[in-house]
Amino acid sequence: MFKIKIKENMEYLTSLFLSIFAALLIGAIIMVFNGQNPIVGYGALVAGAFGSKYKIATTFAKTVPLILTGLATAISFMSGIFNIGGEGQLYLGAFAAAYVGFTFGSLPVFVAIILAIMASALVGGLYAYFPGVLKVKYNIDEVITTIMLNSVAILFTNYLVNYPFAASQGKMGGTDMISEAFKFTKLVRLSKLNTSIFYTALIAIFMYYLIKKTSFGYNFKMVGENSIFAKYAGVNNKKYMIRAMIISGALCGIAGAFEVYGVHYRFLQNISKGYAFDGMLIALIVRNNPVGIVLMSIFFAMLKTGSNSMEIATGIPSELILVIQSIIILFIAGENGFKNIIKKRKLNKGKLVK
Amino acid sequence: MQDVFNLTLLQNTIRTATPLILAALGGLLTMHAGILNIGMEGMILIGAFFGVLGSYFFNSALMGVLLAIFSGLLIGLLFGVFTIELESDEFIIGIAINIFAGGLTVFLLRSIFGVKGAFSSPDIVPLPDVNFPFIDKIGFLDTIFNNHSLFVYISWILVILVYIFLYKTPYGYWIRAAGEHPESLETVGISPKKMKYISSLLCGVFCGLAGAHLSLGYLTLFTENMSAGKGFISLAAIIFGASNPIKTFGAALLFGFFDALGIRLQGVGIPSQFTQMIPYLATIFALFIVAKRKLGKKVA
Repeated sequence: MFKIKIKENMEYLTSLFLSIFAALLIGAIIMVFNGQNPIVGYGALVAGAFGSKYKIATTFAKTVPLILTGLATAISFMSGIFNIGGEGQLYLGAFAAAYVGFTFGSLPVFVAIILAIMASALVGGLYAYFPGVLKVKYNIDEVITTIMLNSVAILFTNYLVNYPFAASQGKMGGTDMISEAFKFTKLVRLSKLNTSIFYTALIAIFMYYLIKKTSFGYNFKMVGENSIFAKYAGVNNKKYMIRAMIISGALCGIAGAFEVYGVHYRFLQNISKGYAFDGMLIALIVRNNPVGIVLMSIFFAMLKTGSNSMEIATGIPSELILVIQSIIILFIAGENGFKNIIKKRKLNKGKLVK
Repeated sequence: MQDVFNLTLLQNTIRTATPLILAALGGLLTMHAGILNIGMEGMILIGAFFGVLGSYFFNSALMGVLLAIFSGLLIGLLFGVFTIELESDEFIIGIAINIFAGGLTVFLLRSIFGVKGAFSSPDIVPLPDVNFPFIDKIGFLDTIFNNHSLFVYISWILVILVYIFLYKTPYGYWIRAAGEHPESLETVGISPKKMKYISSLLCGVFCGLAGAHLSLGYLTLFTENMSAGKGFISLAAIIFGASNPIKTFGAALLFGFFDALGIRLQGVGIPSQFTQMIPYLATIFALFIVAKRKLGKKVA
C-alpha cells in the first residue's frame, strides 16, 4: 500500500514537472516569436520575484489570497462538491470586513479584529452554504449555481460601494478607509507584505492537520472519493458536503478580509483579480494537497510578481504568464489522458513486434 | 420613465441580446452532447480579438469574421481534444480556456498592436448595418428592426437553422444521443466522440461569431476582457431555455432586455447592478423550479 503511494506520488511529481517545463518552454517559444530572448526574459522574471528584499516581500504578499482560496477549493473538491464561487465569497467577505472596519472603530482592537474576521468568514460561509443546500437537497449542479452567484456577489458589492457605502470623498468605487486600529502591520516597508501571512500560515497548518490527521478530515475525503462506501461507514454524505462548502466559503471570506486589512485598507469594487480562480487552479494542480497548495502558491505568486518586472525590463507583456499558467493547468488536467494514449501506443507497438 | 421605456429600448434589447444568442446557440449544442462548456467566455473573447485582427489587417469585415470563425474552430478543437480525447474535467478545461483567452488576447494586443487596454483604428472595418426598405416607412418597425448590424439578422436565422439541425437532421439526433445515450449510439455504429467533437467545434464557431459581433458589429474596437460575463449569461440563457434553441433565444432576448434596461436606468440615476443580476438569479430560480418539479414527481 505504502509502496504504491510512493510510486503514484513519483509519477505525479514527474508529470507535474513535465507540465511546468512544457508550459515554460511554450512561453519561451512565444518569446522567441515575439523577438525576445527567453533566457533574458525568464532571468528578469526570477530577478523580479526574488531579486531584493522588497521583491521577495511582494512575492510572499501575493501568496496570501492564493493559499487561502487554494485551501478553500481543496476542501470542497476533496469532498466531491465543487465550489467555483470563491470569487463571490471573497468579495462579500471583503466587504463585510471593510464594513466592520469603518463602523466599529471604537471597539478594543483585539475584539474588533476577531469580530471582523468572524463576520467575513460567516458571510463567505453562508454564501457557499446556499448552493451547497441546493446541491444536496435538490441536486442542482453547484458548478452552475456558484458561477452565477459569483456575478451576483460582485454586482451586489459593486452596487454597495457606488451607492449606499460609496466613499464620502476621493476614490470612486470604494468604501471609506477602515480605522487605523484594524490595519495589519506591514512587515517590509512600502511592500504589501503584512502580518496576514502569519495568520495564513496558521490557517494552512490547521487545514493540514484537519485534512491529514483527523477523522473529520478523513470523512471529507471518503465522501468525495466514494460516497457509497462513506454511507456504509455511517458518514452522512450530505452533511459533510455542506460542511465542506461552509468551510470553503469561510476561507474565501477570510481571504477577502485579509486583502482589506492588510493591503487596501478599504473595500474596492475590483478588490480581487481572480484570486479565487487562481486558487482553484492551484488546488487542482496539486490535487488538493495542503503542502502542495502552499508551494504552488509561492510559484504562482513568483510568476505574478516576476512577470511585472519582466515586462519593465524586457518589454515582454506580463500577460504571457497567464498563458503559461493556463497551459500548465491544461497539461495537468490532461495528464491521465496523455498517459492512456502513451500506454495504448506502447501496447500497439508490442503487437506489431509480435 | 418615458425616456426609459420606449421603442429604442426594444432596439437596444435586440442589439445586446445578439452576442448572447450566438454564443448560447453554440453552448446548447455542447450541452446536448453532454458537455457543460464554461469556457464560452474565453471563446467569445478570442473571437472578438481575431475579428478585429482580421478586419484591421485585411481592411475587410469579412476577413475579420472568417478569422473569428477560424480562431473559434481552433479553440473549440482545443476544448474538444482535452475534454473528449484526454477525458479531462470539462469545467477545469473551461476555466483554463477562460484564463488562457484573457492572457492571450491581452498579450497579443500588446505585442501586435503595441497598446494597452483597448485597440481601435479607422482601419478596422465594421460589419455593415442592414436596412430593409419595405419597413422603412412604418415608424415603429423601422425603429426596432431596422439599421442593425448584419449579425443581428444572421443570429435569428441561425436560431432556426440550429433548431432544424438539432431536431430534424440525423446529426442533431446523434448529437443529442451522444449526450443522453452514448452507448446506444455506439451500437448503431456512430461514434459519440465524433458527435461531441462536432458540437465542440460548432460551439467554438458560434462563440467566435459572438465575439466578432462584439468587436465588429456592436463596437468597432477590441478592449481587454470585452466579453465581460457574456459567456456566463449565455450559459444562463441555455439553462433558462432548457437547451431548446427557440426557448434559449427567448431567454437571451429577455436577458438582453434587462441589460438594455439597466443601461438606460443608469442614465436616469438608477443603479444598473440589480438588472444585471437578473439573468444569474433567474437561472438559479429556473433550476430550482425544475428540480422541485422532479422531486415532486418522485414523491408522487
